[in-house]
Amino acid sequence: MKKVKIAGCSAGWPDMMDPAIEVAEKSDAKYLAFDHLAELTMAILERQKAKRPDRGYIPDVIPLMKKLLPIWKEKRFKMISNAGGANPEQCAEEIIKLAKNLGIIGFRIGIITGDDLPIERVKELRAKGIKFRNLDTGEPDIDRVINDLVAAYVYIGADRIIEALDQGADLVIGGRISDNSLFVGPWMYEFGWKYEDAYWDRIGAAVCTAHLLECGTWSCGTCSNFWEEVPEPWHSGAPICEMGEDGNSIITKVEGSGGLVRADTLKEHLVYEVHDPENYIMPDGIGDTTAIKLEDIGPNKVRISKLGNKPRGKPRPSTLKFCLAYLDGYISEYIMIVPGPKAYDMAKRCEEFFYKRLEIVGLKPVETLVSFIGYNALFGPTAPPIDYSPNELGVRFAIKTRTLEEAREARLQATLSWYAAGVGTAFGAPSEREVLALWPTLIPREEVPTKLEMREVK
Amino acid sequence: MKKVRLRDICWYRSGDKGDISNIGLMAKNEKIYQIIKRQVTPEKVKAHFKDWVKGEVIIYPMDNLLALEIVMYQALGGGATKTLRIDQTGKAMGNALAWMEVEVPDDFVVPK
Amino acid sequence: MKKVRVGAGSSGWPDYKDSAWDVAEHGDVDYIAFDHLAELTMAILQAQRARDPRRGYIPDVIPLMRGLLPIWKKKDKHFKMVSNGGGANPVRCAEEVFKIVKDLNLGGMKIGIVTGDEIPLSRIDELRAQGYKFKSLDTGEEDIDRIRDKLLCAYVYIGADKIIEALEGGADLVLTGRASDNSLYVGPFMHALGWKYEDAYWDRIGAGVIVGHLLECSSWSAGTCSNLWEEAEYPEGNPGFPIAEMDETGECVITKTATSGGLIRELTLKEHLVYEVHDPHNYIMPDGIADITTIKLEQIGKDRVRISKLGDAPRGKKRPDTLKLCLAYNDGYISEEMMVISGPKVLKMAERITEFIHRRLKHLNLKPREVLIQLIGFNSLQGPTVPVPDPEHEPPELGFRVAFKCDTEAEARECRVECGHLAWAAAGVGTAFTNPPGIRPVYALWPTLIPRDAVPLQLEIKEVK
Repeated sequence: MKKVKIAGCSAGWPDMMDPAIEVAEKSDAKYLAFDHLAELTMAILERQKAKRPDRGYIPDVIPLMKKLLPIWKEKRFKMISNAGGANPEQCAEEIIKLAKNLGIIGFRIGIITGDDLPIERVKELRAKGIKFRNLDTGEPDIDRVINDLVAAYVYIGADRIIEALDQGADLVIGGRISDNSLFVGPWMYEFGWKYEDAYWDRIGAAVCTAHLLECGTWSCGTCSNFWEEVPEPWHSGAPICEMGEDGNSIITKVEGSGGLVRADTLKEHLVYEVHDPENYIMPDGIGDTTAIKLEDIGPNKVRISKLGNKPRGKPRPSTLKFCLAYLDGYISEYIMIVPGPKAYDMAKRCEEFFYKRLEIVGLKPVETLVSFIGYNALFGPTAPPIDYSPNELGVRFAIKTRTLEEAREARLQATLSWYAAGVGTAFGAPSEREVLALWPTLIPREEVPTKLEMREVK
Repeated sequence: MKKVRLRDICWYRSGDKGDISNIGLMAKNEKIYQIIKRQVTPEKVKAHFKDWVKGEVIIYPMDNLLALEIVMYQALGGGATKTLRIDQTGKAMGNALAWMEVEVPDDFVVPK
Repeated sequence: MKKVRVGAGSSGWPDYKDSAWDVAEHGDVDYIAFDHLAELTMAILQAQRARDPRRGYIPDVIPLMRGLLPIWKKKDKHFKMVSNGGGANPVRCAEEVFKIVKDLNLGGMKIGIVTGDEIPLSRIDELRAQGYKFKSLDTGEEDIDRIRDKLLCAYVYIGADKIIEALEGGADLVLTGRASDNSLYVGPFMHALGWKYEDAYWDRIGAGVIVGHLLECSSWSAGTCSNLWEEAEYPEGNPGFPIAEMDETGECVITKTATSGGLIRELTLKEHLVYEVHDPHNYIMPDGIADITTIKLEQIGKDRVRISKLGDAPRGKKRPDTLKLCLAYNDGYISEEMMVISGPKVLKMAERITEFIHRRLKHLNLKPREVLIQLIGFNSLQGPTVPVPDPEHEPPELGFRVAFKCDTEAEARECRVECGHLAWAAAGVGTAFTNPPGIRPVYALWPTLIPRDAVPLQLEIKEVK
């Protein structure tokens, strides 16, 4: 049976680069997949590109390629990446320059575009009668935010990745390609699976398995419940998955790397962000994560196979996830640290004082949050009653406002609140940022024509 | 004799000048002032701070205020502008000193 | 017997503007003094001015004056103001204040602008060529060879000389650069009470220096950041600023307005008398050397404390022949990152993350000059002096903070991302990221002395009618 190995080499921006290099050097993975985009990243990159047309891709891709290209010369693996962000063309251009400098000729790049829509296109679509219902709040359309839109991008699937590989691409680079598709694409290409009835079960297996790989080292024990046991997390391995044409697979990592691959470290990731586990909706198919089982079959070796008779996947949806990013005011923050004894009382005092100060200067923020680092910053209202005397507490003020002036004024008043604390209170440096909010909605697949351009380093 | 912590018998406030930390340690009453004047010595203060105070410690008594002015050199990680510490100006150095213990007679009553 | 009432208007940047307006409105004061400068502020203001010649003064002066000057007019322009908010650009600051006067139709105003506190680096080189050595008051290093090519700017802490001259010339507001906080108060005392820089007055000037010390930190003498924090009340979130009633013998009563929060007690003043004084017998200021052990405090009423002479020892000695000179230089970059980690076993987790950071620095061959790890909620304030933790009562969460100091901004960034941010890998589930402050340049200070007569000062009085 044919088998194909893909490694999950990156989960975000930033991420560790050395696991990717180690995979390239030491493993026989045929494909290296790189996911660099979190929910907000595209909006941030679009803003960068608006200020400077030669920016808007993930800058990390350059140092990464600098290290990977010489290894590629020997080993000829393939790379799939969404580091193109808001500017895959410029990203490809930079990589071509780099390859030339390194004397790497014949390298082929497939550049995928069309995932990000100009705001004008959004308005056109509305004029056509398409409504962009908010998947979170249920609001029927985007009237409230239409004038504050700064970016619009679609989570596209693996269609063009398959096409690029078919045309001999060594690197496929795109913008908002769904993390999941970075893995599903190569497997579909290698095994000849199609978007047709006979294949949804296997595509579903790929969708569920890809979910385990797209978070890179998180599947190898970082940020884990098992943190105490995970060996050498400072050079954690990246997960490597060998899938067969039946959709079953084995996940391991490079021998000798740090980290831990076990059924339970993978399980942690399987239950992460899946929402309805039987309907894990991805652009290439709808996976059923309850239809698979995980088994430890050796040290750092886990098999993923079909559980029972349920299909592991259903036909892909006719709509794609569509994110509209809009400006939604500002957030300013300030942290100060109050000493014990009675640190909790002192912290409450500062909080009371802060609210009085807001009244005195006549400021009405959209929202405020005061939390105590060391007690309830993570746990909020679930924090158990305080039954010990902390040595100190970090008092963190976060304020959301409509304008930058208000954000600064609010931060100033937070700063002045440290005077209400007792002797020995220290101040930390403040910060303020623009709020980019997201409006998640759906767009019909046929309204998103994507393009593929092939280029070669000559 | 028994032990009490300075924080139960004194008030304190700390300031900085460059890399020098300055703690004003104020006794809550005359009797306590005599105790701290005797027992809060440069050697004990320096030992208490371990590697946070790298230089000399000098102590100036202020009888008029029942206070000790404690000056510690190379105590702030380089000073406000250079230090990595989050408490850049060492505002809590007095609080830190206040963990230190001194000996008091068994019948000593901690003031409110 | 001559008396004068001087109120505090500011202790730093930022401070409560409404408290200053309260002093003006209800304090029945003859003078208000505004200190806006901390040790580093001048270096920051000079950098701002270098980027934009219209900047370099303390921006807060403008909104402060906008609220204050109408009160000043209502009080028939009785009280005078002294401020070091001119910073690195007192001339421009004065222009902005005049704009407010015109905008609000306040009639005439005279502003005295004091300059000369800023020393061009070329002058530093001249003085060195003449044989003068700038010995470090911190480290004892003999001269500035090590830092000369990293120097950014130099400024002198000047005294009240030109402030007094400006007040004599009828200035309503005196704007300075790096005038010593203390001198902002001593100047009005000396001018109003007729004291001079002569033998017969050093005792009284010493009293002025001591009271100046109490007022220059504004609300800090009136219950903020205090050991009495539990008793200090701010019904409307408005701390009070202290007001000094000084007589010509140097005896003084400290009080505050009834309309403000906070308290004036012997302890709140004492807390400030012991703050940053170093050798209390020789509190060296540009206008005189005070002996803080020669005075006593007495509570004589609600929020009223008298400061009087204790015994015969003089409260002050002749002013020094040298002034404090600060040289600011670039000494690398600091980056930091903080994540909040969840228990159980939160201290063990912190140890693990610490190990991760050091191992990863080595693994990636990064060599920051310095690394510091602190746990917010456990030991960031008190470092190695915290007692051994009680295993029964671990905090439920902690802020894990790591800071790096490097020679270049690029290195500082790399350390922060690779070993600060990515250290989450060693943390457990549920770790939250925070928004750390941006990478900042380290402005180090080289404090030294310069002979008083090497620092000529200028005063210009400008007027709008």
